[in-house]
Formats: sequence, structure tokens, C-alpha cells
Amino acid sequence: MRDKLTSKNISLFLLICLFPLVTYGTDYIARFLFDQGIYLPIPSGDTILRTVIDVCLYILLAVGLNIVCGFTGLLDLGYVGFYLVGGYTAGILMTRFDVSYWVVLPIALLNGALWGLLRGVPTLRLTGDYFAIVTFGFAELLFRIVKVEEWLVGDIDGYINDIPNPTIFGIELNQLWHYYYQIIILLVLVVFVTYRLLHSRIGRAWVAIREDEQAAESMGINVSRYKLLAFAVSAAIGALGGAFLGPFRSGISAATFEFWESILIICMVVLGGLGSIRGTIIGAAILASLGEILRWVLPSQFGDARYLIFGIILILLMRFRPGGLILKKV
Amino acid sequence: MAQLLEQIINGLVLGGIYALIAVGYTMVYGIIQLINFAHGEIFMLGAYFAFMLVTVLNVPFWIALPISMLLCAAIGMLIDIVAYRPLRNAPRLSALITAIGMSLGLQNLALLIWKAKQRSFPSEYLPSFFLSENAIALPSGADLPYRDLFIILLALVLMVVLNRLIYLTKIGKAMRACAQHPIAANLMGIKTNRVIAITFAIGSALGAVAGVMVGLREVIEPTMGYYKGVAAFAAAVLGGIGNITGAMLGGILIGIAEALGAGYINSSYRLAIAYIIMIAVILIRPSGLFGKPMENRA
Repeated sequence: MRDKLTSKNISLFLLICLFPLVTYGTDYIARFLFDQGIYLPIPSGDTILRTVIDVCLYILLAVGLNIVCGFTGLLDLGYVGFYLVGGYTAGILMTRFDVSYWVVLPIALLNGALWGLLRGVPTLRLTGDYFAIVTFGFAELLFRIVKVEEWLVGDIDGYINDIPNPTIFGIELNQLWHYYYQIIILLVLVVFVTYRLLHSRIGRAWVAIREDEQAAESMGINVSRYKLLAFAVSAAIGALGGAFLGPFRSGISAATFEFWESILIICMVVLGGLGSIRGTIIGAAILASLGEILRWVLPSQFGDARYLIFGIILILLMRFRPGGLILKKV
Repeated sequence: MAQLLEQIINGLVLGGIYALIAVGYTMVYGIIQLINFAHGEIFMLGAYFAFMLVTVLNVPFWIALPISMLLCAAIGMLIDIVAYRPLRNAPRLSALITAIGMSLGLQNLALLIWKAKQRSFPSEYLPSFFLSENAIALPSGADLPYRDLFIILLALVLMVVLNRLIYLTKIGKAMRACAQHPIAANLMGIKTNRVIAITFAIGSALGAVAGVMVGLREVIEPTMGYYKGVAAFAAAVLGGIGNITGAMLGGILIGIAEALGAGYINSSYRLAIAYIIMIAVILIRPSGLFGKPMENRA
């Protein structure tokens, strides 16, 4: 066992903990320079912090998707469906029934897992393309439902506005840095749980299923049960991300949960290397920040060009580095 | 009654269009077992090519249509050679992700070039015969525009031509051989890669025709390939993927189901109907209505 308390890890830990101070620092520097007559076109601290929270949210989703795509080797094209389930569970409960955010989080988690099982049971025996297509159709159906059914959501196109901020001991957590620490805590929990799962009997069973389902079954692994477990855990993480999104953006709409979002998350997992947690985190961090940076750099009418770039990244990766950019070729 | 008849006509036209797209999916799947997600985008490009030829270069419609078909055939072939051919022996997941990346890239390229604006063929550039007011009045009170009749007939003719091509010509025989067993076909002296490229070209040309037909009736926009592509893929699955006759019939069934659903249930669920049929077929009868039972292809 190597010593984990290296200076590198400690400084990384401190950077993560103190990050909000850094962004507010840039504001002071920019204001100071502005007073001196120098104008630097750097984004404000709030923008940076907001972007970082978005990136962390994508990392969370990518880690969740990696459980199905990377560990069990099934291509899930409908991950955004669970994100949607979490978002609307939280949104509807918090706006219409005034349920506390801290109660909503576990409910969303469980609801996500339930939907994961619901989708998992009929798709158990599907592999490859057919699994991909059914998951895609599933997410698209959920998307249509929240878009069309006004009675369920409360507004057309799935808009839920004014989702309240969470409160703790009577203090409203409405600052950006509150959300920053919240997503960091969620992310650490999720990564810890996935990491422990992967390095347990369950994780080894998943990898065995990915490598050869029939061989795994003949070695006594209950393939259906382990696959369902993977679907449920992955879906629960997606729903957790959705439940976080609502209060953070103080509103959600169906447009947040379009099919391309699933593809974007897949792109992150593939970039980092299917099946590797560290790779997924790095891949998601690279791609999500690339998306945000391109949004600033490209003129607004070319805003959608970032998806063009993501498409090209997918094609090039599959051609030259199918094992992911970060990992060695597997 | 008139409404029902109108919806059925609508469904037939839509079905013909879906059938034209679906054969592109199904032919490629039959040979290399790849869901070519980019096929929907080729269909969209076909519509845009014809639109640009007609409006910008003032090419007559009847010449723009074949040019657009040729351009799309070339693009389909190019996609196969550049993106899919190097992955022929890679895991299936890699090829599938490449296909998704291709679709994403082409759709957003179109968005970049033509913007998210809805367009349709300006009527002054079209033969007067395509205008929607020129219609046959059916005895029950429904209207059958010449345009719709033309689309149904064109789809039928193209389907018959394709069918004859596959069963009577040498290249068709080679395609069937590759679908049955690519390695054995290769050993018999069939240049598999060339046959696959030609398959892409034929499918793409038919997709281009469908794109132009949609442009005549509805609007042209960068996301049309995605929406119509999924419905057409559902048609291919319904007919039994890999089965060309099945894809034609599946297209017509999906078209009619969609038109009736949109007319009588809720037009916002127009696409959902195709998704539901697709999921149901995959879960209940993965070989489709007309396909042979499939062995486990992981």
C-alpha cells in the first residue's frame, strides 16, 4: 500500500477545498486591473465557478454512465432519461409538495434506481445494438412525455420554474459556493462508492460479464442479478445528478434532457477510456470544460459547432485510440 | 370518413418516404451488422443539396433530383471508406460509436452551414404539378394532391427497381452473398469492400430521393435527418432488420400508424408512436414481422 498522503495529493485536496476563493480572487484582480485602466477579457469569478459546478455535474453523470457502458460493456444511449427522472422527481416534489431538498435527494436516488430496474428487466437479454436502440427509445419517450404532458409537469415544454434553494438549519444555501461544495461532496461520495464497487466481488463480476457473458455465467455468476444491479446503481447516480440540477439552475425544462446530452456523456466516458473511473473523470473534465470554453471562444452563431467537434472527437478516438485517450490501449 | 381517408393517404406518402430511408439502414445492417446512424443525415443532406441546386444555381427540379442522388451516393461511400472500413474488424461497439459521432458531426455541420432555419422549396422553382392546390378530388370528399400521388408512385417504382437489382443483377447477387457470409463471399472472388461501398451508395441515393420528397411536402431543417431517421429505423426493425422487402412494408406500416396516431391521439406523440413500435418489436419479436429468427449476434 503506497502512502496516499503525498504532497501532490494534499495540494490537490487543498485546491479543491479552496477553489471558490481562487475564483473570487480573479474578480479582485480584474477589478484592480480595471481601475488601473487595463481591461482583461477574463470571465468573472461567478462564471468560472458556475462552469466548474457544471463540469463536476458532468463528471458525476459520466461516472454513473461508466458503470453500464464501461463495466458491463453495454452501450446505453438513454442515460439522459435517468437524469430527467431525477430532475423531475426533485422539481415536482419541491415546487408542488414543498418537500425539503434533503428528503428529495434520497427519493430521487431511489426513483432513479427503480426506473433503472424497470428498463433493465425487459432489456436483460438484449445485447449490442438492440440494447442501445431500446435505451435510446426509452429516453426519447420520457423526453416526449415531460414535453407534452402539462398536467404532470405543470407547464408546456416541461418547464418547472422557481425550484427553491435547499436550506440547512434555517440558512438558505443560495450562494454559488454552497452549490460548489455540495456537488463536490456528492461527487466524492459517488466516486468512492463506484470505486469500492469496482474493486469488490460485484465489480469483478461486472467485468467478467463484459468480457464473456457465457463464461461468467458458467463460473456461477448470476448474470441477470449483477446486470440489474449495474443498471440500478448507474440510474441512481444519473437521477442524483438530475436532482442536483433543479435547485442549482433554479428551474428545468425538457430541452435540458435532449438525446444529444446522452451522446455528450458517452463521448466523455469514451474519451477517458471505457471502464476506468479515473479516465472517465479526466475525460469528462476535459470535454465539459472544452464545451464551455468553446462557448466563450466561438462567436454565438457558431455555438453549436462544439457538437461538430465532439462528433469528430468520437470518430477519431474510435479510429486511433479505441481504449481512450488517457489509458494505454487495452 | 373523409378525414380517415386523408390520414391514410398521408400515412401512405409518409410510409413510402420511410420505406426509401429504411432500405438504406437495412441493406447496410444486412451486410456489416452496423446501425448506420449517419444515414438519417445523408437523407437530410439530400434535401439540402436539391434545395440549393434549385434555388441558388437555378437548376431545373428534374435535374437537381438526380444530381442530389449522385452527391449523396458519393458521400455515403466516402463515409464508409473513411470511417467504417478501418473498423471492420474492431469491436462492434467502436463502429456504433463512430456512426453516432458521424451523425452528430454531419447534423451540426449542416446546422453551421444552413442555420436552424426551416426552409421549403419556393413554389416558383417547382413544376406546377407539385403545388398542393393541384389535387384530384376523391368521391368521399378527400383531396389527393398530385404531389402525394407522385411520391407514392415514385417510392413504389424505386422499390421494384431495387428489388430487381438485388435479385437479377450480378452486383445484387454479390450483395446477397456478402450478407450471407462475407468471408466465404470474399473467398469466391467477390471484392467485399467494393460491394459494401456500393451498398452504401445505393442506400444513400434512395435516402436522397426521400429527402427531396420530404422537402416537397414538409420543411427542410438540419434536424430532420434525426427525427425521420429514427422513424425509418423503426420501420427497418419492424420489417426485420436486414430484410429489404420487410423494410418497405415496415415503412408503410409505420407511416400509416404515425399518421393515424397524429390525427386521432395527439400530434405531439407523432414520433413517440414510432419509438413505441420499435421498442415493442425489439422486446417481443426481435427478428421483426418478416425476418427469420436471428441467432445470437453479440
